[in-house]
Amino acid sequence: MASSSAAATVAEPFPIFTVAHKYILYDVDTVSHARAAHNITGVLIGGLPQAPQQNVFSGIPLELMPEEARLLVEKGVAYLVDDVKAHKDGVLGGALAPEERRAFQNALRKHGAAAARDAERKMEERKKGALEKKFGSSDWNDIPEDMLLSTGKRGAKKGKKAGSRTPVPNSAAASGTATPAEEVESLFTPVEAGPASGPPKTGPPRAPSVASSAEPTPFAVTPATSTPPLNPIPPPPQEELPLPDVPSSYPLFKHLHEKSYFMSPGLRFGCQYTAYPGDPLRFHSHFLCSGMGWEEEFDLLDIVGGGRLGTGVKKGYLIGGREPDDAGQEKGVRTFCIEWGGM
Amino acid sequence: MAACAPNGTLPTPSTAPHPSALQLLFESHPAPPQHPAHLYHLALQIAHNLRHQHNWSDVRVYTHSPTSKAVLPRPLVSGLPPQRLYVHPDEQIALLQRQKDAGKTGMPELRSEREWVLPSHLREKWSLKRFGEVFDQIALVPGAGRGELLFGGGDGEDTAEAQEDNEWRTTKRLLLATLDDDSTVVYYIVHDGIVKPRQN
Repeated sequence: MASSSAAATVAEPFPIFTVAHKYILYDVDTVSHARAAHNITGVLIGGLPQAPQQNVFSGIPLELMPEEARLLVEKGVAYLVDDVKAHKDGVLGGALAPEERRAFQNALRKHGAAAARDAERKMEERKKGALEKKFGSSDWNDIPEDMLLSTGKRGAKKGKKAGSRTPVPNSAAASGTATPAEEVESLFTPVEAGPASGPPKTGPPRAPSVASSAEPTPFAVTPATSTPPLNPIPPPPQEELPLPDVPSSYPLFKHLHEKSYFMSPGLRFGCQYTAYPGDPLRFHSHFLCSGMGWEEEFDLLDIVGGGRLGTGVKKGYLIGGREPDDAGQEKGVRTFCIEWGGM
Repeated sequence: MAACAPNGTLPTPSTAPHPSALQLLFESHPAPPQHPAHLYHLALQIAHNLRHQHNWSDVRVYTHSPTSKAVLPRPLVSGLPPQRLYVHPDEQIALLQRQKDAGKTGMPELRSEREWVLPSHLREKWSLKRFGEVFDQIALVPGAGRGELLFGGGDGEDTAEAQEDNEWRTTKRLLLATLDDDSTVVYYIVHDGIVKPRQN
């Protein structure tokens, strides 16, 4: 999405989707907005379609720490949306008119048919190219039949491929035959007693419908987004969801965030957060942070260990918590930085 | 040397081992009434370590706050390290820039600065509140000439010179000295607030 750079504007408050106690942003514009305007980075958790094995660089969706989600909600720039409920209401709850539903189904089917045709065409081209390379002729109808039925390993492989090609263009099509257009019909009807158990698109597979013999079987398309038909930005729910549960280190998180530090999870340095003085793409982190209660006791060994590790990676170890006033009122967060003494 | 007298009594004082240097220090500095003896002895042991292992000079022990005159949560120590202990990263940049402008390389010689030392034992539990209470009772820089002098050793000139204000020293800091049972002492700098780390 090249168009989603600085020009894209995100209306506030924006939705944060909660699924299974996770806080998720799906929209890339919202992700960059949260980062640019609110210093919230989150963690990208989506696998990349072209490189599903690697886990160094991930894509959307973005998972927020509960602290981050709570901070955004408390600031009033975001609201929580129960993702399962929003889907159920949006898809099953009669949010779609019958003609809208039909139009959407037709669009899906068309998309699947186009994809199948495309795959078929590519297959043909590849086959043609391979034959041309091997026999120097693009007209493979001239080749005697026994040349294709070689006893060698390569030949056998080729024959296997050729044999399986007509009904199943590739592995994606294999699943396509099992879940064809008819399933799309069933998508928006409550198929089971407990439709809440999962997204509505996972209905039981139906018997394959017979596609026209001239056309390849349409692929079953599972849309990557549910918009359309769903509204991309669900409105705030009638009754507000409870604020995300946060650990006791939340005051420290909020305090550092107010001082425009970027906070990211601190597991790799054995702490709760790593604090960056600016965007983590531009800065090294300054602090390894551990939040705690004002009177919570800790071992001095924790200080020594944190200070030692922090200094070893050119960072400071930062501890802090909310200091109550003598009258029991909040005095604000007080922090202490620890570095190795060098002696 | 006979370990025991023939009649089975304990060895006479003349045959007992000579007390250690640390023990002599404890004996020559009886604990004041404001604090439990073990905390005062802890401060003395840290001071001893600073003087004899790390060559600090003008090591002093404090029982009262230099600012509020109240009794400190525990005895504190201050002293003058042989070299500057802490250089703020911004000060370091400024110093290096000055060196570069003067056509020199490397860090210049820095005068030493007096530091607060907070004695602690590894077996203690600490909390943010206790750190806060200590910081509330100390000044930015420990003034010379206060407290009880334990060890001299400085040439006096250093002490006077160290009183010049360092414009980069704007946040309270102390050196957390943690003692273990095997008499190992480790030292960590604790700042009262957010101070960016050194890039050493």
